[in-house]
Amino acid sequence: MNVVVCVKQIPDPADPGALDPNTKTLKRDGKLILDESDSYGVEMALQLVDAAGGGEVTLVSMAPNGETAGLRTALAMGAAKAVLVSDDALQGSDALGTSKVLAKAIERAGQADLILTATESSDGYTGTVPEQIAELLSLPSVTFAKSITVDGSSVKVQRQTESGYDDVECPLPAVVSVTAGVVEPRYPSFKGIMAAKSKPVDQVGLGDLGVDAGSVGWAGAGQEIVEIATAEARAASTVVEDDGEAFQKIVDMLAELKIV
Amino acid sequence: MYQWSEEQEMVRTMVRDFIDKEVRPVREDLEFGDLPPYDLLRKMFATFGMSDMQRESFRKTIEREKAIAAGEEVAEKTRGPRDPNSIAFTMIPIIELCRVCPGMVTAMGVSMGLTAASIMSKGTIEQKERWALDLLTMDKVGAWAITEPNSGSDAFGSMASTARRDGDEYVLNGQKTFITNGPHADTIVFICKLDEGNPPAERTVVQFVLDAGMPGLEQTKPLRKMGIHSSPTGQLFLDDVRVGADRLLGGSEEAYKGSAGKEASKATFSMERTGVAAMALGIVDRCLELCLAYANDRVLFGQPIGQFQLIQLKIAKMEVARLNLQNMVFRHIEMGAAGEPVTYAEASATKLYAAQAAAEVANEAVQLFGGNGYMAEYEVEQLARDAKVLQIYAGTDEIQVVAVAKALLRDAASAAN
Repeated sequence: MNVVVCVKQIPDPADPGALDPNTKTLKRDGKLILDESDSYGVEMALQLVDAAGGGEVTLVSMAPNGETAGLRTALAMGAAKAVLVSDDALQGSDALGTSKVLAKAIERAGQADLILTATESSDGYTGTVPEQIAELLSLPSVTFAKSITVDGSSVKVQRQTESGYDDVECPLPAVVSVTAGVVEPRYPSFKGIMAAKSKPVDQVGLGDLGVDAGSVGWAGAGQEIVEIATAEARAASTVVEDDGEAFQKIVDMLAELKIV
Repeated sequence: MYQWSEEQEMVRTMVRDFIDKEVRPVREDLEFGDLPPYDLLRKMFATFGMSDMQRESFRKTIEREKAIAAGEEVAEKTRGPRDPNSIAFTMIPIIELCRVCPGMVTAMGVSMGLTAASIMSKGTIEQKERWALDLLTMDKVGAWAITEPNSGSDAFGSMASTARRDGDEYVLNGQKTFITNGPHADTIVFICKLDEGNPPAERTVVQFVLDAGMPGLEQTKPLRKMGIHSSPTGQLFLDDVRVGADRLLGGSEEAYKGSAGKEASKATFSMERTGVAAMALGIVDRCLELCLAYANDRVLFGQPIGQFQLIQLKIAKMEVARLNLQNMVFRHIEMGAAGEPVTYAEASATKLYAAQAAAEVANEAVQLFGGNGYMAEYEVEQLARDAKVLQIYAGTDEIQVVAVAKALLRDAASAAN
């Protein structure tokens, strides 16, 4: 069973990058790391391939400057190879532009039985890429998976909802987005880290994928960031004086917020 | 080598993350709750495939030794060149653990380092298969018993523990103290003198392997001590412990003729001493990190204390120590990769500097933190207590001074002749 996992390489959240005042986008010229939200998809894919008793996990990523540091982490975890799309013309790509490129890269990666993504990236948060990829590849799409089981030619997914989960099933191949936190991503072994260096990374540009440069990047972006502003400081918290009935007031507040 | 490679950086990041998630939350239990460190170490070994790497390396070693024993032609073993990662990947967990819990490195190092290394360097193939592999993988806990109540730095000269022949067996007696892992050890390398009725000074130093629970062997509960609480330290009492020759490391007394027994222990000392540089680097690195944050945050007399030159002096000295220690670790990796052995004198000089630097930096870190630094809540208090032991175990500062100076004087005298 072959699984493709879409992974994003992002600036390290522990060392946040700056916004470019001209493009109003995040600067991505430094070292990038594997987006933690994608590590769950990688782990899920590795477990599915293990359970199937054969096959491999292929990574697909789009990043500037041929950056591979984040990919090496996922390769060290156990993925077999990667396709990296890196092209100056991709700067400024919106979610649909990104999806067009990833869809082509997935095709280049070879015949996939299943395509996994995160539900959203930790630096962009559009949350629309998985469904756009599915549409572009004419594949069924299931979102917010908390559990995935492959059964012959179909995939069974426990799809997380606000109140629990839905059991859904669809034929393979399919695109499934994996909810963060549902599996414990493994640490790469030392041997895995050493092996990652020699695993193949197929670095390609738009021309290799047959993608028109005018349909992606700034040129093809259907959305424009018109303004960036500092987030408002968090509003002062509510102080409940304990007159002997404070607990009830807190319970009522939580109920109003639909937390209890 | 002037910086960690990309892979080494990845290992460092992953190990640090693991320690932050698995070790840091139980630091209080390790420090004050007598939580043994072994399950955490085993989990770290399993997580990063270190146990599998040890198994693979052990398998190759034993296969080679069996082939030699069978008279097969085997390519000569060379010291180098080696992959620097094979050395760096053992240094990095030491450094990272010492940033949080130096005692865990002591427990690990004595078990899979000293104890297993003794068996691997001195033991027969059967003895290695019987005891060493489980120690190398941390499946079992090892202790290396040399120090006695009346010996210490004069380990061999004042050694009173004895082995006496009795038919085909030996009868062991003695008392060992300050034995790392002593309370929990499954396997103990017991170093003693062969009592043939001759004067103690003339007796041959021999080593036996003991298992926990043997009749006559008592392992005490952990001793209370100043620091490295996560490394359980105990005493061993041997009262007529009967063992066969199968437990005599090397399988026969022939292996100990001349000064071979002492030389084997000396080789183990060298390995132990270079490891202290990595331990010191971890302690110093963490102290400096904590001090920089504190010096920027702590405001006194209307400004962050980092603006005061006396604080800046402390920070600058810490950075000098950190750079020196890092360079020593890099040199050790480079030399190992090139197949260049570290001399006993250099190992001693490295250990002397590293121990003093770690103790001084950690003490200065407490001073920089002031009253807060004296409180257990702040990590520097623990690191200062832990760092002190580096000046005492694995050969005191004073012993290192003698080792370095004697070697230099001897070499100079040889050159003059």
